[in-house]
Amino acid sequence: MILQAKDLKKYYGEGEAQVKALDGVSLSVERGEFVSIVGTSGSGKSTLLHMLGGLDNPTSGKVIIDDKDISELKGDALCIFRRRKIGFVFQSFNLVPSLKVYDNIVLPLELDGSPIDKEYIDSVIVSLGISGKLDAYPNKLSGGQQQRVAIARALATKPAILLADEPTGNLDSKTSQDVLGLLKTTGAKFNQTIVMITHNEEIAQMADRIIRIEDGKIFD
Amino acid sequence: MFENKTIDRIEKMLDSAMEGTFTENDYDESKLSRLESKWKKYLYSSQLAKNQLDETKSNLEALIADISHQTKTPMANLKLYSELLGERINNMPGATEEDQKLLSQIREQTEKLDFLIMSLTKMSRLESNIIEVKPVRAEVDSFVKEVTDAMRFVADKKGISLRLNDSERDGEADNAVFDIKWTREALSNIIDNAIKYSSEKSTIKVSIIPYEMYVAISVQDEGKGIEETEIAKIFDRFYRSDENYDVEGVGLGLYLAREILKRENGYIKVKSDKGKGSEFIIYLWRG
Repeated sequence: MILQAKDLKKYYGEGEAQVKALDGVSLSVERGEFVSIVGTSGSGKSTLLHMLGGLDNPTSGKVIIDDKDISELKGDALCIFRRRKIGFVFQSFNLVPSLKVYDNIVLPLELDGSPIDKEYIDSVIVSLGISGKLDAYPNKLSGGQQQRVAIARALATKPAILLADEPTGNLDSKTSQDVLGLLKTTGAKFNQTIVMITHNEEIAQMADRIIRIEDGKIFD
Repeated sequence: MFENKTIDRIEKMLDSAMEGTFTENDYDESKLSRLESKWKKYLYSSQLAKNQLDETKSNLEALIADISHQTKTPMANLKLYSELLGERINNMPGATEEDQKLLSQIREQTEKLDFLIMSLTKMSRLESNIIEVKPVRAEVDSFVKEVTDAMRFVADKKGISLRLNDSERDGEADNAVFDIKWTREALSNIIDNAIKYSSEKSTIKVSIIPYEMYVAISVQDEGKGIEETEIAKIFDRFYRSDENYDVEGVGLGLYLAREILKRENGYIKVKSDKGKGSEFIIYLWRG
């Protein structure tokens, strides 16, 4: 088991005005699995992703990644843990505009001061079809290409889990299919655990397993 | 300073272990030397475990080869004897319709057993990597035409029109990286399913859709469609929908198809509308 959430709760406000964004969510993900979490907007799926990624603290409950309870980590330790163990892919790509594609990809390794496994990085780059774009700046790339670079960056550290938040939210349907296909096949190739959040049932179908969330609860 | 050197040395030990080139450096009274010896011991025992695994795997491979080989002759004999029995029944004055029925049951079950053994052998060979999927660059359009033409005969038997929708392609030819033989198996399985689960006089459409990174082959039927809750399960081994107990099959076709595609960096997707039909799409990697 690479990822486990135990009875996660996130409440905002108090009394009458209290909002239960997450209301007792438990789930577990095996190594190498591709899981999608699907729900409508306001279902709590983004809150859940933030908890899983250590970007926000739950009101109660635990998140365990690679045998480590992340609520025990604070400040710099949490930041370093995230850098090494979690790869993020966001809807808005979030590439650094002043860095060339290659430098964007190896950025998390550079920040960590860890050596670059050139063979691995090259094979990720080839799998994602961005070999020809390494010297370009992100703004010269199409949306689909930018997202492929973001996936490469997320894979660079060989994270324990890759979290993708609506990864095709800004792409047209044809490009989306390309990007999701690459996410799925490169994930399988490098035995990468992937958790993807989406509101779209068809996109969710790309995963090996679908978890449905509604009103802050998991729904079978 | 000294501490740094030690850590550097340990990092090098780990790196060389990962490359499989680790050897012990010096033998002296230092803690580092003792650590090296322990490290070597640990590596040796994990190597041992790996060797044992490899051996188990090769035994398994031999077993599979034996099973598939040893069942061939009895299977052929079963078929032959039921043929002979059929001829006798035909020439027997007292033979009843019931006898004919029993015989055809035997034949049907023999075919099923034969098919099952064949699928199981294919599957286990694929899983244990005995048969390697070897993707090479090849042309998709002619491949799809060839498979569709071969399957048309099965469709015709059921009065189903199997159409290759290539008018929009206008002589275009897209390349992808795939293993022709295994991908033929995958695509045939999918078309065969579409035929099995479609009613007579319906149409099955096969089309090619180019993407930037993939070339997709879509197989669209007007069959009964798949329940949303079942979609994730249809690719499981031996999965058969309760609704389809009357349709022949063993539940390995889609599983095999998915495994094949995975091995050539492609994938399969399914869209379905209960009652309206299903669309299976194979994505071949352009490479």
